[in-house]
Amino acid sequence: MSRIVVTGMGLTSAIGNGTEANRQALIAGSCGIGSLEGFTTRYAGILPCAEIKEANPSMQARLRASGAGLTRTMLLALDAFEQAIRDANLLPLTDQNVALINATTVGGMCLTDELYKDSHAKAEGSAYLSAYDLGSVGVYLQSRYGIKGIINTFNTACSSSANALMYGARLLRHGRADKVIAGGVDSLAKFTLNGFNALRILSPELCRPFDRDRQGLNLGEGAAFLVLEREEDLRAGSKVYAVLSGAGNAADAYHPSSLSEEGEGPFRSMQQALQASGLQCSDISYINAHGTATENNDEVEAKAMLRLFGQRVPPFSSTKGSTGHTLGAAGAVEAVFSVLSLIHQEVYPGLRFEHPIAQSNLKPVTEYEQRPLTHVMSNSFGFGGNCSTLIFSKA
Amino acid sequence: MLYIHQYSCISPQHTFGSIDLETLVPSIDNRLKALEPAYAGIPPGMLRRMGKCVKITVGAAMPLLADHPPADGIIIGSGNGGLEDCIRFLDQIVQYEEGMLTPANFVQSTANAMAAQISLLTHNHAYNNTHVHRGLAFENALLDAWMQAVDNLDATLIVGGVDEISDYHLNIETLNGTFKADPCNNATLYASTTKGGLAGEGAAMFRVGGRPVKAEAGTTEPGSGAGAEAVQADKTYAVAITEVDLFHSTDPAYVQGRLKGFIGADTPDLILTGENGDPAFKPFYTAAEAANTTVARFKHMSGESPTASAFATWLAVHLLKTGAMLPEHMIKHAGPSDKGFRNVLIYNAYQGRQHGLIRVKRTPE
Repeated sequence: MSRIVVTGMGLTSAIGNGTEANRQALIAGSCGIGSLEGFTTRYAGILPCAEIKEANPSMQARLRASGAGLTRTMLLALDAFEQAIRDANLLPLTDQNVALINATTVGGMCLTDELYKDSHAKAEGSAYLSAYDLGSVGVYLQSRYGIKGIINTFNTACSSSANALMYGARLLRHGRADKVIAGGVDSLAKFTLNGFNALRILSPELCRPFDRDRQGLNLGEGAAFLVLEREEDLRAGSKVYAVLSGAGNAADAYHPSSLSEEGEGPFRSMQQALQASGLQCSDISYINAHGTATENNDEVEAKAMLRLFGQRVPPFSSTKGSTGHTLGAAGAVEAVFSVLSLIHQEVYPGLRFEHPIAQSNLKPVTEYEQRPLTHVMSNSFGFGGNCSTLIFSKA
Repeated sequence: MLYIHQYSCISPQHTFGSIDLETLVPSIDNRLKALEPAYAGIPPGMLRRMGKCVKITVGAAMPLLADHPPADGIIIGSGNGGLEDCIRFLDQIVQYEEGMLTPANFVQSTANAMAAQISLLTHNHAYNNTHVHRGLAFENALLDAWMQAVDNLDATLIVGGVDEISDYHLNIETLNGTFKADPCNNATLYASTTKGGLAGEGAAMFRVGGRPVKAEAGTTEPGSGAGAEAVQADKTYAVAITEVDLFHSTDPAYVQGRLKGFIGADTPDLILTGENGDPAFKPFYTAAEAANTTVARFKHMSGESPTASAFATWLAVHLLKTGAMLPEHMIKHAGPSDKGFRNVLIYNAYQGRQHGLIRVKRTPE
């Protein structure tokens, strides 16, 4: 079976633009979570968010993205996508069998107020009529780059972009694409802010993944894309960042918006990823956990890790204390962090942890560490019980 | 090869329960709404909380889930998911100025609610995924199932496509030109000279696998047992999806080239095209037609929706499995084949940009 390798990456988040800026911020323990400024909402200054502090017009100019009807979600995706294809030296995309697999949960609904107006308008609509749906981002990137291969979009809530990477690897193995650009994007939106707030899982303080006294998550925004190729197609001397060794996808099948007590879905997705990679528990050097800092997720994820790894849970941390929870982008953002960990043989700290959760007594990594890493596991669990796990290995 | 083991469809036509394709159910106010059944087997308390998208998905899937071991995967394609709930939540945000909102609409509005609900109802922990790439959501779901079936020939998967009509979405897509602004009915849809199609909705679900279903003793015949009248048991021909492709283009010449490449030397005896009454997209469909092939249309039955090709796939499977006659109202050009079809090509060009190709065949031919 073909080995699937990562040959390019692009990333934008509240802690930086570009993979190196993000890495430096993670090493420094920087936090991108703060007061929301990008749109009007009564929760600005009340519910902290991890916002990218560049407004749309500036992004449009920087990315040479002119024209009406462009959403913030499209622009964030374009930024990360462009970085990834330049990094992998893929341009032009028109003459190759390239697939683009995107993931998003918000799509153009970042324009919450415009959508409200258009859905009730009788005469004239706005410039965004084709931009609200989830497919709009992939359709925009496709037309901008003239991509001829398979284009897809996933929405499995917070595990969306982990599934995009899993599907991308499968397309390569089945010969349905020669190069895959897979990842995800979400921008902050009044829609999701109110949705998560109605579910009472947003923290009024900076989030504290895996801490006993955690009060919920902080929403974030960002985009990340990874270029995947079959190892045998690479030219001699090509740069390879890491191997995508395997992936798992399982349903928790318990509740529409919370995980089961025993963490059946998380347990199975981690277990399947190990099986797909041909690895043992003891092979995993580090876990980039889902770690949203909600009451439910962290308790269940810790329990599932104990179930699978027994008393030998590998070092783990959640980088959401730095980037916030970027929802549909989170799987890809953390896939990039996992690959950076492997390249540089380092582990990024989970911020603001003080006391372990009593039942599990698990402590995340809280300081930047250099340590030998061979296989890194990355977890993403979503509403609806959609659980996915990726395993990246040292190139 | 993706063998169809069972298939089921809730649509604006008589496709669920006792199937009658000869009678064309008329559109009302430019809409073709799904004919919803009584939803036997879903607890009433649960049913009340479900949005329409979830309801028709679960309703169509139920007959494929009963009396079977849990499927090895649940894969749904949906362009828009629960839009009604989505905009209801939006209305709450505006109306209550972001005050105390109830999360039910928010949770129901997420696109993965359908696949998640099936896993919940059947306690199924297997692979679960939701494809939402607009007019190619169903084609991607099929491709996903296809690859899984190749990787594991013994796996059985539930795969389907679903979308709903909501007032709000109708408003947006009418302003956007996807749906007709002028009055039109489905009986005369293809004579229309105005932009857009008729709004449609429905859920088509398939139980599929890498091998043809074994002829088991006591296989349920249509008309016997729970939900059996809704499902065509595999009593006649084995049918499989043999090829799927999808791509984007607005250039008719390029599209024609890709179509030619897909068809190759294997000329279908029936082409189901997604012609939708919008003259702007006709050139794409005309280019797909061939002289010695029957050409038929389906969007006067299903209406336009991002996953209308799931309805077309249900039609193709039904025709191939049962050998049923093609209803007169579907035929654009009759070809020479009058002994039942064996090789069907489904071609859909959503919004003139997203092209989906699905080949469905009797196996062995």
